[in-house]
Amino acid sequence: MTTLTPVRSRDTSLVVGAILVALVVLAALVSFVWTPHDPVQVNASDRLLGFSGSHLFGTDKFGRDVFSQIMVGARTTLYVGVVAVGIAALIGTPLGVLAGLAPRWFGEFVMRVNDLVLAFPALLLAIMFGAVFGADTLTAMVAIGIATIPSFARLARSGTLQVASSEFVLAARAAGRSRTNIAARHVLPNISGLLIVQSSVSFAIAVLAEAALSFLGFGTRPPTPSWGRMLQESQDLLTSYPRLALVPGIAIALAVLGFNLLGDGLRDRLDPRLAART
Amino acid sequence: MRARLHLAALAVLLAVSGCSAGSTASVSSGPDTLSVGFTAEPANFDFTHSDGAAIPQALLYNVYEGLVKLDAQGKIVPLLAKSWTVSPDRKTYDFQLQPGVKFSNGAPFTAADVKFSLMRVKTDWTISIKSAMDVVDHVDVVSPDHARVVLSKPSNGWLFSLTSRLGAMFSPTGVGDLANKPIGTGPYEVASRRRGDSIVLKENPAYWGRKPAYSTVVLKYIADPTALDNALLSNGIDVISSLTSADSIPQFQGDNRFNVIQGTTNSEVTLAFNNRRAPLNDRRVRQALTYAIDRKAVLDLVFNGRGTLIGSMVPPTDPWYEDLSKVYPYDPARARQLLAQAGVKNLDLRLRIPNLPYAVSAAEVVQSQLADVGVRTTIEPLDFPAVWLKQVFTDDDYELSIIQHVEARDITTFGKPSYYWGYDSPRVQQLLAEADSGTPQQQVTDMKQVARQLNTDAAADWLFLFPNVIVAKKKVTGFARNQVSESFDLTGLRPA
Amino acid sequence: MTARVARRLVIFVVSLFVASIVVFLFMAVLPGDPAQVALGVNATPELLAKTRAEFGIDKPMVTQYLSWIGGVLHGDFGHSYVTREAIGPQLLDRLGVTLWLVGAGMVVALVIAVPVGTFAAVRHRKAAGAAVSGLSQIGVAVPAFLAGIILVQIFAVQLRWLPSGGWTPPNQNAGEFVRGLILPALSLGLVQGAVLTRYVRSAVLDTLGQDYLRTARSKGLLPGQALRRHGLRNASVPVVTVLGLQLATLLIGAVVVERVFVLPGLGSMLLDAVSSRDLLTVQGIVLVLVTGVLLVNFVVDVLYTVLDPRLRGS
Repeated sequence: MTTLTPVRSRDTSLVVGAILVALVVLAALVSFVWTPHDPVQVNASDRLLGFSGSHLFGTDKFGRDVFSQIMVGARTTLYVGVVAVGIAALIGTPLGVLAGLAPRWFGEFVMRVNDLVLAFPALLLAIMFGAVFGADTLTAMVAIGIATIPSFARLARSGTLQVASSEFVLAARAAGRSRTNIAARHVLPNISGLLIVQSSVSFAIAVLAEAALSFLGFGTRPPTPSWGRMLQESQDLLTSYPRLALVPGIAIALAVLGFNLLGDGLRDRLDPRLAART
Repeated sequence: MRARLHLAALAVLLAVSGCSAGSTASVSSGPDTLSVGFTAEPANFDFTHSDGAAIPQALLYNVYEGLVKLDAQGKIVPLLAKSWTVSPDRKTYDFQLQPGVKFSNGAPFTAADVKFSLMRVKTDWTISIKSAMDVVDHVDVVSPDHARVVLSKPSNGWLFSLTSRLGAMFSPTGVGDLANKPIGTGPYEVASRRRGDSIVLKENPAYWGRKPAYSTVVLKYIADPTALDNALLSNGIDVISSLTSADSIPQFQGDNRFNVIQGTTNSEVTLAFNNRRAPLNDRRVRQALTYAIDRKAVLDLVFNGRGTLIGSMVPPTDPWYEDLSKVYPYDPARARQLLAQAGVKNLDLRLRIPNLPYAVSAAEVVQSQLADVGVRTTIEPLDFPAVWLKQVFTDDDYELSIIQHVEARDITTFGKPSYYWGYDSPRVQQLLAEADSGTPQQQVTDMKQVARQLNTDAAADWLFLFPNVIVAKKKVTGFARNQVSESFDLTGLRPA
Repeated sequence: MTARVARRLVIFVVSLFVASIVVFLFMAVLPGDPAQVALGVNATPELLAKTRAEFGIDKPMVTQYLSWIGGVLHGDFGHSYVTREAIGPQLLDRLGVTLWLVGAGMVVALVIAVPVGTFAAVRHRKAAGAAVSGLSQIGVAVPAFLAGIILVQIFAVQLRWLPSGGWTPPNQNAGEFVRGLILPALSLGLVQGAVLTRYVRSAVLDTLGQDYLRTARSKGLLPGQALRRHGLRNASVPVVTVLGLQLATLLIGAVVVERVFVLPGLGSMLLDAVSSRDLLTVQGIVLVLVTGVLLVNFVVDVLYTVLDPRLRGS
C-alpha cells in the first residue's frame, strides 16, 4: 500500500530539497568572488537601513550589508555541515562496517561505546568543548561531529550485517577474500545510499546546532558572518527591526529544510519501500 | 497498559520536580513590592572574598552600610557616622556614630564594630581593591559611639574608599557565613534567593533610619539583555537598573508606561593596550591606534550615541575631570604615518575580550576601523569573568582588550606597574602619591596632570564612558541619575 | 526477557561508571584555576595554596575522582568553588525546573503529534495530508530558540498575555506557574511535535498497511474506526521508542529554551557555571544530564522489550 504513494510527491521533496541546497551552495561559492558590499565593513552612517536596491536586505546595527553577510554566512553554514558530517561519516562508517564484519563480541563492544557517546548529546558536548578549547566554529563542529558518529556507525553496522548475510558476500567469504576486500567491494557500495541520506539529515542537524550554539555564545566568533550569530545579534532589535532577525532566521530554516527534504527525497529514490516515512 | 506506563513515567517526573521546587519564600506583589532587573547575578553574598560588581550593587547601602556614603552628586555624606573631624596633619579621623543602630541579627552597632570591620579588611579580605585600606594604622575605640581611625600617612583616597564596600560595617557575630547570610545595619535584609533567578530583600524592621518606601524588593537577574527588556515590556519587572544595549531605548521611549532616565557612570569602556609588549610598548604605535579609531562612530554604533567621550580615565563626576576627548581626532592618515615611523608593518594583534554584548559590539567596530589603517586584529571572546580574568587580567596574555572599568577613581590603577595595563611611568606614580597625600586642592591639580600624561602616552584608548540608562515604570521615582557609587541604592526609591 | 532486562541493567551501570570518568577527566583539563577564580586576582600565593587544599584540587587525580564519585553516590556533589554553596540541593532544585519544562514540552509535542500525525497518515494521499507533512517539515527546520523569541515577542511583549520569562514555583502560585510555563513549553514542544508528527505518521501508515487492519476494514469498519480499535496500539510501539529518544533531545533543548525564558533550570545553571569556571558544578550538572540520557535509553530499551511482542517471547 505504501508503494502506492504518488511518485510525484516523492520527487517534489527531492527537487525542492536540491534547489534549496543548491541555493546555499551557490551563495557560498559566489561569495568567494563577489559580494555586493564588504560583509564586515562597519559604517556608522549606514546604520539600520531598510530594503533597497543597493542593500537588498538592508543593513544591520553596524551598517553592514545584510545580504552580503547572508552570502558569506552560507559559507559558515556549509563549513559547519561539512566538518561535522565529515568527522561523523569518516569515523563512524569504517567503525560500523568493521563492527559488522568483525566477530560478534567486537561489534557489541563498538555498539556499547557508541551508546556511551550517545549519552553526551551534541549541544552538551559542544558546550563542554567550548569551555575547554575556547568557543569557536571549529570546536563546536568537532563536538557535533563526534556526537554524530554513533548515527553513522549504527547505520553502517546494520547495513553491513544485512549485506554480509547476502549470498554474494557469503560466496566471497567462501572464496577466501579478506574483510577489507569484502568491505570495499561489496559492503560500502551497497550501504552508500543510506549513508548519503544520513549525511543529508545530519547536515541539517549540524546547521541547527550551530545556530543554537551561536545563540548561546559558543559558536562562530565575530566578525565571521554566521546566520546563527546574526540572529543572536539582532535579537534586541526584534521589535523595531524584525527583518534583521527574520532574514537569518529564514535562511537557517530554508537551509535545514533543504537538507532534510534532500535526504528524504534521496531515501525514497533509493528505497521506495520507505517512501511513506517522509 | 502502554499508555499507563507512559503516564506513570510522567507522573514520576512531575513528582520529582514538584517536591524540589519550594525553596523561595512567597513574594506578594502589591504596591509595597518593587521588582528591579539586573544583568549580572552575584555569585554569592561575600564581597570580602569574591570580586565582581554584582554583590555590592545589590547589598551596599541596602543591606550593608558604611560610616559614610556617596550621594547622587558624588559627594561624601554621613551614614553610620553622624559626623566626623579630621586632624590638621590629616592622619586622624574622629567619627561620631549614630546612636541606637542595630545589626539585622539584633547585635548593637558600636565603635568596636568599626574597629573590627576596618581591621578585618587587612586580615581577611582578598579582593583586589582591599589595598586602599593598607594606609590604616590602627583604630581606637574612644567610646561606644566614638571611633578614631589613625592613618600611617595622609590619604585623600581613604575616606572616599570608605564609601565603597571596603567601608561596610560588620558585626563579629554576623560574619560566620558571609557567602550565604549577610548581616548588616541597612534598611533591608536578604529574605531569600533563588539562584539563577532572583534575590528577595525585605525591610529590616529594626532599621535605625528612614523606613524605605518599598517593604519588599525583588532583584531579578536576567543575563540576556533582550530577555531583560522583554521582562519590563511584559510587566514582569518594574525597573531595569541599567541598560546594556541602547537598541531597545526607542521602544521604551515610545511607550507611555515608562520613564527613561539617562546619566553618567564611572564605567570607562576602555580599549586596553598591553604596554609591556612589543610593538605596543612603543608610544607611537599606541598613538597610531588611538588616531585610527573614530570614537564618535564607536559610540554611535555601540550605544546609539548615548554616553560620553572622555579621552582619559576620568568621568565627569570626578572633581579633576577635563574633556580630553579631542586630543586625538580621528585621523587614519596620521595613524598610518605614525605606524610607518615606528617601523611596524603587517601588525596582527589579538583583541581578547570578555564575551559580553557591549565588548563584542565594540570589538567588531574597532576591528573594522583598525583594518582601515592596515592593522589586522583577531577577536577572541573569552568567558567572563573566569577566563578573561585569568588570561588577560592576571597573566597579561593579550595585546588588546576591551572592557568596562567600573570602579570609582580607578585611574589610580595606572600607578601600579603590575596591573594588566603594563604601564610603568615614574612620573604618574609620583603624581598619584602626591595627590593622595596632598591637600584636596593639590589632589585636583595632580590628578589633572595624571590624566593628561596618560592621554599623551596613549596608555589606553578610552572609547567612551558608559551611560547610566535606567528604564522604570512611571509609578516608580527617586532614581539617582548618575551611577557614582558601587551600589544600586534602593533607599531613595518611592512611588510617584 | 528477564535475562535481557538484567543485561541492559548491567550495561547501564557500566556506561554510567565510564561516563562519570569521562566527565571527570574532561573537567580536569579545563583551563582556569578554581582557587584563583574563587579568590579574585589579588589573592596571595599562600592563600591560593590554602584554598587549593581546601577544594582538594592539589591531590592526585585518582584521589580527586574517588572522593568526588564517592560523595556523589551519597548525594553529596561537593561545594561550589564560586558560590560556596552545596551543589547537591542546588542541582535538585534546578532539575525540578528543567523536568517541569521537559514534561510540559513533551505534553505539547504529544498533543500536536498524535492527532496531526494520524490525520496525515489517514489522509496521506489527499492534499490535506500532504500539507500537514509539509508543515511538519518546516516545523522541524525552525530552531527552538527562534520559536521562543517570536512567541515572547507576540504573546508577552505585544499582547502582554503571558510573562516573557521567569519562574514561579508551583507551590507558591499555581496560576503564575502555569502561565510562566506555557511559552517555554510551546517553544520546546512545537519543534519536537513536528519531529514526532513525522514518526507518528509513518508508524500509523505502516500499521494501516498491515493485514489485520485490511481485514477489519473489509468487515466494514471505516479507516478511522479500524485504526482506533486495532491500529493505534500497534503504532505506539515505535512511537514510544522515538519518544524516549526525544526525551533526551528535550533535556538538551531545554538548555537553550531556559536561556531565552530565563528559567533557573539545569541549562542556565550549566551555562553560568561554565562561564564562571565553576568546575565542580559543571561536573555535577553534566553527570546528571548524562545520567538522565542513559536512564531514558535504558528505560526505552526495557519498555521495548516489554512492548514488542516479538521480543516478549524470547
